[in-house]
Amino acid sequence: MTTHQVVSTAPAYREPSHWALTPDRSQLLVADASGNALFMYDPRTGALLGHKRIADPYQIGYTPDNRYFVVNALRLDFVDVYDGATLELVKRFKPGRWPSHLDFSPDSRWSFNSMQNSDTLVSLDLTTMTERWCVKAGTTPAGVLWLNGRVLVCLMGEGGIVEVDPIKGGITRWQKTGDGAHNIFLDEQRHILYVSNRGPGQTSLTALDPITLKPIRAYPIPGGPDDIAIAPDGKIWIAQRFAESVAVLDPETGDYTTIPVGRSPHGIFLSTMLKQKGQVTAERLR
Amino acid sequence: MQSLDRLFSIIAGYMDQWAVLPVLYYFHWMAWDDLAFDWCLICVYGLFAVLVTYAICVPLELWRPVERWPDKKAVAVDVLYTLLNRVGVVPIVTFVLFYQVQTWATGFLVERGFIPPTLESLVPFLLGRPMLTFLIYALILDFADYWRHRLSHSFRWWYALHALHHAQRQMSFWSDDRNHLIDDTISFLWFFVIGLIIGIPPLQFPLLVLALKFVESLSHANIRLSFGPLEWLLVSPRFHRFHHGLRAAGRNSCNYASVFPVWDIMFRTADFRDEYLPTGDARAPEALATGSYVAQQATGLKLFWQALGKSWASLGIGRAA
Repeated sequence: MTTHQVVSTAPAYREPSHWALTPDRSQLLVADASGNALFMYDPRTGALLGHKRIADPYQIGYTPDNRYFVVNALRLDFVDVYDGATLELVKRFKPGRWPSHLDFSPDSRWSFNSMQNSDTLVSLDLTTMTERWCVKAGTTPAGVLWLNGRVLVCLMGEGGIVEVDPIKGGITRWQKTGDGAHNIFLDEQRHILYVSNRGPGQTSLTALDPITLKPIRAYPIPGGPDDIAIAPDGKIWIAQRFAESVAVLDPETGDYTTIPVGRSPHGIFLSTMLKQKGQVTAERLR
Repeated sequence: MQSLDRLFSIIAGYMDQWAVLPVLYYFHWMAWDDLAFDWCLICVYGLFAVLVTYAICVPLELWRPVERWPDKKAVAVDVLYTLLNRVGVVPIVTFVLFYQVQTWATGFLVERGFIPPTLESLVPFLLGRPMLTFLIYALILDFADYWRHRLSHSFRWWYALHALHHAQRQMSFWSDDRNHLIDDTISFLWFFVIGLIIGIPPLQFPLLVLALKFVESLSHANIRLSFGPLEWLLVSPRFHRFHHGLRAAGRNSCNYASVFPVWDIMFRTADFRDEYLPTGDARAPEALATGSYVAQQATGLKLFWQALGKSWASLGIGRAA
């Protein structure tokens, strides 16, 4: 039975942000950037299993083949590539200012990392450990998502998303979503893209058609909506960064309830995601 | 406490969304989006601290004042100091500078293969015990503040700056933030280094930090109040008033602790006499006591410069061969 109540709280050092599930699904890794640590929790119970000290992990993710674990160190301007099995540092890149979000090509060859304070999107070749290209994506890029052979990037400063050609790095499309477009997600059936818009002013979640990129509907969500997750009942769980709450949105009606959770909720992992086939990631909600 | 914290976040969130972010976006500084919320939170907490201090200390000062003053003109400038220090630009600038330097220092160390520890990583027992962690941070910082304060009474040039704080004859709960900007800068650097070493989280314990600031404000209040048998545990208005007493001004003072008197007991500078002395510094120029904000700052600077010259001269610096 769902009570929408906090049932337990597990410790971290400072401010936990994004998460990644280990390939064997036994550990939920949570990045604690200012604590310089990666915390490991039981993805079923939330119990703390341990932690590893690594530099400034903000956005994190395993390559689709699980060979590498890539970390965007936003404060320190590093993109660190760790061995996926041992979490030992393999290569450190300094591709721009404030590495923010990341995603990978399905064949695991390339990573795409947004540089929030350089206004660029950078692509790294993980087979040669070299930088492939760096393109001016637009003002203050954040969320990154590989979709249908293209890379979508949220532009906070321009209130929308751009589509980038992953081969040459050219911008092929642009779509307005809302002020402060921050992060982007694809639903389980690959039918809808969601973009969280963090303001200024009215903040919202925009639903888009993943093929045409045209907006389908906008949901006003206060409190700086950030990461989302979709429950099996279709409800969308949304972190309200600046309202210390998680909103649970019914996408049919647009109604939502809120759950007070504590300071700065960021990434959202639902234990039901463990039932998903294939790699479980924060942005591809399948 | 959690619901209060949530209320502050909601207020800060509105402030951020409707007042600060539009400015940042206008000037294309939206990369600071995340930190802008923290700036708002600092202002909200600061404002709340001032309101709570006001709500508690005003009735107490009316109820049991040590002194009654014909007018409170000299207090007015202390109100300005408080607002600038707790709600205005000073805490935000401090936060931004601390963030930048901490980031730079961490990056420098990480590139050399060393990840700076936090207190909880050095003492794993503290993980998940935020109250205890906070108490240890508070003890470390208060210990550091004891020595900063004691040294500010020991060096001629430093006391020339600190005299501004001591010159107030109408000492009230507003007087805690009454400091020369250079003195504030030295304090800032002092805590900066310690904060970097122990990896202090600037915004992890804001409510508790405000509780400590409340103790400091209360200790300056014009109240006939001691904590009786608990006097050794927390700095009371009586204990700190003795430090501000006319007899204690200058380079041979006592009761230097800001929050925990244990440091004064440990280093034999505590004086628990049950007396409520008149405050002020008889040797300080009148401008430091009753001048405007600008006059106080200018006079403090002049005194500092003169004292610095004397200190250099005493060291033989600047003399002709």
